[in-house]
Amino acid sequence: MTQQQDRTAALVLEQASVAYGHVPVLEELHGTVRSGEAVALIGPNGAGKSTLIKAILGLVPTVRGRIEVLGVTPAQARRDVAYVPQADTLDPDFPVSVEQVVMMGRYRKIGWLRRPSAADRALAAEALERVGLSDRAKNRFGTLSGGQRQRVLLARAIAAQPRLLLLDEPFNGVDAVSQHALLEAIALLKQQGAAVVVSTHDLAIAHLACDEVCLLNRHQFGFGPTDEVLTPERLRATYGGHALELRGDRVIVTQT
Amino acid sequence: MTWLDSTVHRAMIEAALVGVLGGVVGVFVIARRLPFFTMALTHGTFPGIVVAALLGVDLYLGGGVFGLLVVLAVVVFSRARGQDFTAATGIALSGGFALGVVLVSAQDGFSKDLTAYTVGDVLAVSTSDLVITAVVAVVVLVVMAALGKELLLVAFDREGAAAVGLPTAVLDFALLAIIEVTVVATVPALGAILTVALLVGPAATARLITDRLALLFPIAAAVGVSCALAGVWVSTQWNIAAGASIALFCGSAFGAAFVASVVRGRLRSTVDVPVAVTVPEEAPA
Ligand SMILES: Nc1ncnc2c1ncn2[C@@H]1O[C@H](COP(=O)(O)OP(=O)(O)OP(=O)(O)O)[C@@H](O)[C@H]1O
Ligand SMILES: [Mg+2]
Repeated sequence: MTQQQDRTAALVLEQASVAYGHVPVLEELHGTVRSGEAVALIGPNGAGKSTLIKAILGLVPTVRGRIEVLGVTPAQARRDVAYVPQADTLDPDFPVSVEQVVMMGRYRKIGWLRRPSAADRALAAEALERVGLSDRAKNRFGTLSGGQRQRVLLARAIAAQPRLLLLDEPFNGVDAVSQHALLEAIALLKQQGAAVVVSTHDLAIAHLACDEVCLLNRHQFGFGPTDEVLTPERLRATYGGHALELRGDRVIVTQT
Repeated sequence: MTWLDSTVHRAMIEAALVGVLGGVVGVFVIARRLPFFTMALTHGTFPGIVVAALLGVDLYLGGGVFGLLVVLAVVVFSRARGQDFTAATGIALSGGFALGVVLVSAQDGFSKDLTAYTVGDVLAVSTSDLVITAVVAVVVLVVMAALGKELLLVAFDREGAAAVGLPTAVLDFALLAIIEVTVVATVPALGAILTVALLVGPAATARLITDRLALLFPIAAAVGVSCALAGVWVSTQWNIAAGASIALFCGSAFGAAFVASVVRGRLRSTVDVPVAVTVPEEAPA
């Protein structure tokens, strides 16, 4: 891959407005994420972070403006996009093993009526290795801890070999070990040229793992390089004046 | 006089077929938490039976076709905002049953046909019934094998399935239609009320025995066949209703597996206690 291709825009938002039916949720979003870069979606509860991720997946319609994914429409790009949902949205009693969950990442590329090949199996095993859970392959998904399940879901996304990775609050309720494993795996994907969109409430992680930040609360309160956008003023505007503390290079939002 | 001319032989084959079918399809019924849908489906096909009786066509054909309409209604209703299968099922199926009652009350003379429909009689199955059940079993198993991984993904993570572009509504319809066809094929043997036993019991029993999906299907099928054959055997020995004895065997199998799992769980937790001591990696500050 040439340097030129590396820097192509993976995600373009052009005055994009997103709505559920007649209820507008996000208005006038504007920004670009390039291949190999990560953007953090930051905003309070109900800001529309999950909605934006669903719009990028083409599951919620863009009513005005445009969302372009890998040069095409969201629906056309699905083959190269992987989505990591919050682990706690999935039924922990479901009888499915960790390796089966990871293999689900290959389904799209395997296609209808076919079974996983040896190559698919190797890719799934490698993906599980990358999140450090190879030893749990045979366990039932629901028997893992929340943070480990989140890592399994990331492995599923890695197995899909995406060019754009979308993660919805992957760090919620995750301990330091799992957080480290998730961050490492994301960093490696970026190195390999994937673009990453991650919603989070943790500003430290935005600093640590993301090149850009999109501040959201129904509107866009900033979209650009992390250091420029994550200022106390903009954060205060985004969070509607809730208290903010600055500690060293860390910004902490105290939710009240 | 062929082997199939014996009532008991036909009943055994029918029982084995619906046992496999109920066990295998039941794995998805349990995993998707659809026992209520399955139960209600038997009532929802009722108007189809009544209409078929009015028109003089095959009752199960009528029930089958009407059941597919009900399944379609459930899929459509469940896509409305804030609804899920449970609410949509309640509405579509009570509505269907009410329609059947209205049709019945406007006419007379169904009572005999309808009794056979509600209670079933595996000892009364004809060779053509057997052929139909066998065809249904083959079609259902082939479709489930063909769509296995897609059905699994939609069942486990429907948003994730939609995100990779799978047609979730079509796959929902496919699964519910598989359940519906299985119900209709099982009704002549077990009756409308008891059919649910074979679609829920063996798979729920298998779920107590194993966590592994690949093992659930064969175990559920084996439990289903065993219960169905045991039920037929008991009913011919002591001349009791076959459908009811099959359902009782399903219940007993579940009860036995449940007791076994509780006992095993007790044993395991006693053994685990000394192992469960962990050393924290860092002392708390
Ligand atoms: N299916 C839906 N239909 C209609 N409105 C919805 C739907 N889902 C979410 N919304 C609305 O969209 C807004 C944004 O919700 P969203 O879930 O995107 O927020 P979020 O930023 O992800 O919040 P959180 O931090 O709590 O996850 C909310 O006000 C919510 O009321
Ligand atoms: Mg959200």
